[in-house]
Amino acid sequence: MTELSSNTSASLASNVGEKRGYWSRVGRDGRKLGKWFVAPTVALLIFIVIFPLLMQLYLSFTWWTPLDGVPWYQAYESFNWGENYLILAYDPAFWAALWRTAMIMLVAVPAQFFLGLGLAYLFIDKFPGRKVFYSIVLTPMMVVPAVVGLMFFLLFQGTGPVNDSLGLPASFSWLTDPNRALISVIIADTWQWTPLMFLILLAGMLGVPSDQLLAARLLGGSNWQNFYKIILPRMKSVIAIAIVLRLVECFKIFDLIFIMTSGGPGVATETISLFLYKKTFADLDWAYVGAVGLAVLIVLSLIAAFGLSRVAKNKG
Amino acid sequence: MSSIQINNVTKRFGEFTAVSDLSIDIEDGEFVALLGPSGCGKTTTMNMIAGLEEATEGEILFNGQDLSHTPIQQRNIGFVFQNYAIFTHMTVYKNLSYGLEVNNVPKDQITSRVAAMAKRMNLTHCLDAPAASLSVNEMQKLAIGRSAIAEPRIFLLDEPLSNLDAGFRAYMRSELKVLQREFGQTMIYVTHDQIEAMSLADKIAIIDQGKLMQYGSPLEVYNNPCNRFVANFVGSPKINLLDGQIKGANGSTKLITQGGAEVALQGKISSDFAKLKSSKGGSIGIRPQDIYFGEKRASDDIQLHGYVEELERVGPKRLVHLQVHRTQIVAEDERDALSIGDEVEFFLTADKCMAFDLDSGDRLTGGAA
Repeated sequence: MTELSSNTSASLASNVGEKRGYWSRVGRDGRKLGKWFVAPTVALLIFIVIFPLLMQLYLSFTWWTPLDGVPWYQAYESFNWGENYLILAYDPAFWAALWRTAMIMLVAVPAQFFLGLGLAYLFIDKFPGRKVFYSIVLTPMMVVPAVVGLMFFLLFQGTGPVNDSLGLPASFSWLTDPNRALISVIIADTWQWTPLMFLILLAGMLGVPSDQLLAARLLGGSNWQNFYKIILPRMKSVIAIAIVLRLVECFKIFDLIFIMTSGGPGVATETISLFLYKKTFADLDWAYVGAVGLAVLIVLSLIAAFGLSRVAKNKG
Repeated sequence: MSSIQINNVTKRFGEFTAVSDLSIDIEDGEFVALLGPSGCGKTTTMNMIAGLEEATEGEILFNGQDLSHTPIQQRNIGFVFQNYAIFTHMTVYKNLSYGLEVNNVPKDQITSRVAAMAKRMNLTHCLDAPAASLSVNEMQKLAIGRSAIAEPRIFLLDEPLSNLDAGFRAYMRSELKVLQREFGQTMIYVTHDQIEAMSLADKIAIIDQGKLMQYGSPLEVYNNPCNRFVANFVGSPKINLLDGQIKGANGSTKLITQGGAEVALQGKISSDFAKLKSSKGGSIGIRPQDIYFGEKRASDDIQLHGYVEELERVGPKRLVHLQVHRTQIVAEDERDALSIGDEVEFFLTADKCMAFDLDSGDRLTGGAA
């Protein structure tokens, strides 16, 4: 359809071009001209996306580290036929970090989704003070993650307000207990990112035509039936986008954990990002980091592709 | 099925009064049109009947029962929206079955009732199609079918025909009438199109600026408008209204138009104007088909002189736009003998002339002629 119309308009433009002068010639040459317009952006993209990616791929097939004293482009001297990937496959620290990351994703994202959905539903109808509450609900999202980390670091101290208000003794530790540290991180992440879910889901919910909701009510549908059968199905795309966005963000979670626990106690909260951080700056094992990074990229791409393919399907 | 009584209903939005002191009695099975210009409060009235808005004052009774504290879901009111509000993410079947499903009707009943309604509405061929793929005309039918399938106590239609193309609109108009007879349902129909209202409704409620102007059968409203607004709103081609100052007393009354034309009034119309109190003047209303050319037919008929400004063909008839001292009068030309620029004598049939007070708009009737 679009191809057809663009063909038609192109042929129209060329027809006109034979009769008229300058502007129609610009139209006809538009394609060539356009290429020059996007060229700087493409060059920039190659420089900041494609090139580092290829460089990483290249390094990941070697034993190269910055301590070798060999420039990176001579890393081929220690080419190892992909042994880094073999090491990766059998690296328990990597798999443990991946598992912890998955735990955060699988607990935090659904929690954020349901909380956000519930909040959004409360905000469909107008009520006094709606604008004020709206701003309050959105505030956590605006705070810098590192600051959120510090806030929750303080809140979860043994003598901190959380233990105080729950009546727990100072010896009941959150951040220094291997089991509870991950829970603390999930709570902090949920606190910060539920507002984003709320914001996206509210936009989706407000996009459901109000007269359809009215019609459903007049037909006798209860609020729950109408929510389940009218609102939710119409929000499929928005929900997919929100969840994919949060899953990917969760996968990359770093600053919050870095401040709260630095991955500890031990490695109890060491996610993929922290694992990579340690490997990069503590072990200087850059070739291996390249391999891990690419593996992570593939996982993330699969998540995004799966989620967003559903969006594309819904559109049609 | 249900009768509806609207008793002294007022609706205010803040300072703005959308509907004021409206009272209408609708009998069971009646087809009533709420007619008025945009923003007159007719949709607000409909929303109040449906329960989408709450009346500020007054009450609305269904079979004598006040439903204002019944949730919308339990009122069982059929409502067809102006843009149909079809559930576009569902199939046609699901749209039709929605009202039954949410009311826990047994599965096998749903299937048979949906099939029957689809057949009635000519939608059988597209039952499994996504509702979004339907044409506007089919959506209209689906919207009506979806509301009708739950057998609502009353049926409300909010300008249901305004989005249709002209041909289908005429078809749908007669279809609606047939459907109403079949369902035997009380129907309330909101429209700003007086032709729709005239052709469909058993009774018309004409509303202007939130107030009920007149409530009656189409013929009653047409032949006997109770004020200048109703006279002007109902009828196509429009009624002619000759505004001017009324001079003189019984017997030799005159209406002097702004353009300076003097119209001598006799008989009934003259005595009608005897009731005129306002200083702003009066107004004579006469429908185009009640104007004739040639020989004077009755002694009281009003004689005017003007020239033909424009001729307009409307089907087999021809409308003549006559200019009388800068006042335009439209007449039906039965003889088809006039041409532009002609100077003609023409007559207003006296017993069809209506007298209005120009200030209040009220109809003036003088009793004994």
